[in-house]
Amino acid sequence: MDSVRALTLIVTMAFLVLAMPAEVALGHGVELSVAPHESIEVNAAYEAGEPMAGAQVAVFAPGEPAEPWLRGSVDEEGRFFFVPDSDRPGTWEVQVRQAGHGGIVRIEVEPAGVVEVTGGGLTPLQKALMAACVLWGSIGTALYFKRRAV
Amino acid sequence: MIGIRTTRMVVLLVTLLAGILTFAGCAAEGAPEPETPAPAAETSDTGLLVFAADGEEHAREGTVSKEGWNITFEHAYVTLADIAAYQTDPPYDVDADGWDLAYDHMVSLPGEFTIDLADPASDPAILGEVADAPAGFYNAFSWHMVRAASGPAEGNSIVFIGTAEKDGETVDFTLRFDQELAYQGGEYIGDVRKGILDAGGEAEAEMTFHFDHFFGRADKDADDPLNTDALGFDPLAALATDGVVDVSLGDLKESLSAEDYARLEDILVHFGHIGENHCIAEPLE
Repeated sequence: MDSVRALTLIVTMAFLVLAMPAEVALGHGVELSVAPHESIEVNAAYEAGEPMAGAQVAVFAPGEPAEPWLRGSVDEEGRFFFVPDSDRPGTWEVQVRQAGHGGIVRIEVEPAGVVEVTGGGLTPLQKALMAACVLWGSIGTALYFKRRAV
Repeated sequence: MIGIRTTRMVVLLVTLLAGILTFAGCAAEGAPEPETPAPAAETSDTGLLVFAADGEEHAREGTVSKEGWNITFEHAYVTLADIAAYQTDPPYDVDADGWDLAYDHMVSLPGEFTIDLADPASDPAILGEVADAPAGFYNAFSWHMVRAASGPAEGNSIVFIGTAEKDGETVDFTLRFDQELAYQGGEYIGDVRKGILDAGGEAEAEMTFHFDHFFGRADKDADDPLNTDALGFDPLAALATDGVVDVSLGDLKESLSAEDYARLEDILVHFGHIGENHCIAEPLE
């Protein structure tokens, strides 16, 4: 029964760094520019591990708890990616729900990146894993920009 | 040092003299009355918190069980008491905090309420309201499901009365559950966000009851956890005599298989939600 009732929302970091030059000029006057961003990945699954494929997602920005800043749905593997507005530090909330089951996870975002994640039915092991992911994200960011500076 | 003291004295005297002259001048010109303190802001720091219960469309419009029974409810009574809403910061997390609920504000709704969640008007059923609830985000709730002291559900916490039809077979059912339970959960999760009470405004504190957990859903795969964990209606239809099944929880304990009865006990524990957010629950006795 608990496999149905409980679900787990796991938040990790992902880096959307596309393997393209910073600017690309194409033949008909189109210019594409690419910038690396740190994204947040939410993994939504029932406790038994089954992904909540297709579940609805609502993201709430700090200070606006009533209206979603972003709506979407998780993919077949239960994943949802978003890039929070770096100009809006504070607690970002992500609700995931599907067919009578839902959960919420809170992500503390500061200009330097994610600093804390709470909620989502996380076990201590998952929290430790998440902390490692956030740490990895910070190191990754530092290494990326260090490489860029060389 | 003496020079500094002298200077300070001079400045003080000049300031006092200027103040006296200014006051005298204003008085001579008929200065307005001293300003009274600014009135308090028109908006108070409280609002209207409405307590409600919802059985969703499965209760009001009926549902199709995992085996294909077309179930409609004539009545679906639940009796609730000791209802409270809380503002918590950091937000209460049912999985992490368990029964430990630390809150900044609590608003309770006194009384015992027997409501019919199958009533088309129960969309949702309004239990009562508190007019002077502190403004803020009510993101935790608790209540008891208790045996009704009187009325159509007397002696029971849940009573389902309805009809199930499948392949030309009709079963009229009355299911009476006397299990009393305490529920506690976090914020409402649904298509809109509820519980945010602005000063001078109105917000809803909703308890939600998931009927599909009892019977499952035909529109879900058979191996969907919702269906594998649901009792369904076949075990109840098997108890019918002349197309009627009228049973109590005690009867079902005697009649159902041990596996099905354990499933039913678990369903009762997980019947109450906050929108689609699950609660923790435990028997009151």
